[in-house]
Amino acid sequence: MASRALAVWQNRKVVGLLVRRDLKVKYQKSILGYAWSMLEPLAMAAIYFFVFGLMFDTNRGVPGGDDAPGGYMLFLISGLLPWLWFSVSLGEAPKALISHAKLITTMKVPREIFPVAVVTGKFVDYLFTWPVLLLFVFALGGRTSVEGLLVWLPLAIIVQFTFSLGITLLLASVNVLMRDIERIVRILNRVLFYASAIIIPSSLVLDSDTFPEWFKTLYELNPLLGIFKMHHAVWFPADAPNGFILAATVGGAVLTMIIGYATFRRLETSVLKEL
Amino acid sequence: MAEPVIEAKGLGIKFAMNRRRKRSLREMFIHGTKRDPNPAGADFWPLRDISFEIGQGECVGIVGKNGTGKSTLLKMIAGVLIPDEGTVEVRGKVAPLLELRAGFNDQLTGRENVHLVGSLHGMTPKMLEERFDDIVEFANIREGYIDMPVRHYSSGMKVRLGFALISQLEHPVMLVDEVLAVGDKAFKKKCYDAITRMLKNNRTMVLVSHSESDLKRFCTRGLYVKDGRLVLDTDIQSALDAYNADVKAEQEEKKRADERKKSGEDGKAA
Repeated sequence: MASRALAVWQNRKVVGLLVRRDLKVKYQKSILGYAWSMLEPLAMAAIYFFVFGLMFDTNRGVPGGDDAPGGYMLFLISGLLPWLWFSVSLGEAPKALISHAKLITTMKVPREIFPVAVVTGKFVDYLFTWPVLLLFVFALGGRTSVEGLLVWLPLAIIVQFTFSLGITLLLASVNVLMRDIERIVRILNRVLFYASAIIIPSSLVLDSDTFPEWFKTLYELNPLLGIFKMHHAVWFPADAPNGFILAATVGGAVLTMIIGYATFRRLETSVLKEL
Repeated sequence: MAEPVIEAKGLGIKFAMNRRRKRSLREMFIHGTKRDPNPAGADFWPLRDISFEIGQGECVGIVGKNGTGKSTLLKMIAGVLIPDEGTVEVRGKVAPLLELRAGFNDQLTGRENVHLVGSLHGMTPKMLEERFDDIVEFANIREGYIDMPVRHYSSGMKVRLGFALISQLEHPVMLVDEVLAVGDKAFKKKCYDAITRMLKNNRTMVLVSHSESDLKRFCTRGLYVKDGRLVLDTDIQSALDAYNADVKAEQEEKKRADERKKSGEDGKAA
């Protein structure tokens, strides 16, 4: 396994090329390239702000109380932007190998680089959204802390990268043999969105009497919950995950990565025959 | 002899005959495993027990009927298929000419594709920069076309550009699959010259082709693959003779069978 990791590292240039090619294809056709890529999260944020912020008054649940700097709008934006990174990776994961079938069947490269390129490419897209995030931070008067920038932000990114890569490795290889995965992924995308406290502060579930204890534990075991609590904690220190959620997140992400990679390696022989 | 460049030991690969390999969940849940027309275990081995060694500077032709696994063998040597049995070891980088258009992205221009695929094959930006003009000239791409998206290219143009690019690689092992069949006469001549030049540099080549003249022109040694087995490993002329003898025998067999059938029908009609 170490030798394969090394092989991927030696081919990091190839990953860079694939990422750059995808960005090029994505942005060259439209003049507004970058603006388009920001339009979707902003439109989403506007809708959710209208529905949950104004109509259902979710403001009450924002970590740190009503008058937390930035308010519900910043909570939304700071969750939606990293969510897009995960959600788009998840959406492309089943096609990661299939769409490169021609390259894979004619060239000897470690096959892992294609899932890696998907997650990396979407990560670069996420980095591109930071100027807009900072714009909102200044406009809304959001505040961060040393802990937020030096602990939660890097940790959130590392854990999310690991988790996304594990999922992508798993889905990319399984989907070659069972093409149903693509459909499941769409549903999964929706479920995880509402299950991960991206637009609804987790306290509305965890501090509520409506849900039984077992449901809350299940809710906390979702690795994405911790990841997005960390993303939020950069701007809302009160949202920092507790020990249990943190352990579930890191453990879950590492486990997903192990399962994903083991499956990928196991299926590789049959996948190559099918492509 | 020095260490062989390509070493295959007991190489074998199997494909599942049943539909299970690409079955949707729906089928799996609804039909279970019972309704499968080719039940599990009906494996099919397109190649088995293949062992050979190829030394540096050799040019080996693989001969055989369609569907006997020649291309599969080449793909295993290239490392784009993993054998289920045995091992294949290649010492040195491989320049695969398996399918030339491969890897070209239709949305990108010829120039961008050359850079992308070239770097994927391990060329440095400097090398690419230096040889870019050679590549375009070799591929005979008309003025201005190189900066057009590849989706506007004719299939011949794509193949020419692909060959031009791959032939610039300096990898010690070359695998060629039927690609010489494409292109017009002038381009073919250029390809032959390029391959001859590469062979002079003591490179190793494995060639799959149905063209006897191509095989005889380049190869010194022939592997005859029949029904998934390696039946002959000799000089190219003997391999081709054995292949031709088999084809002839088969045709005569078929002719006889046809005649028998015909006479049977005649008998019935009478």
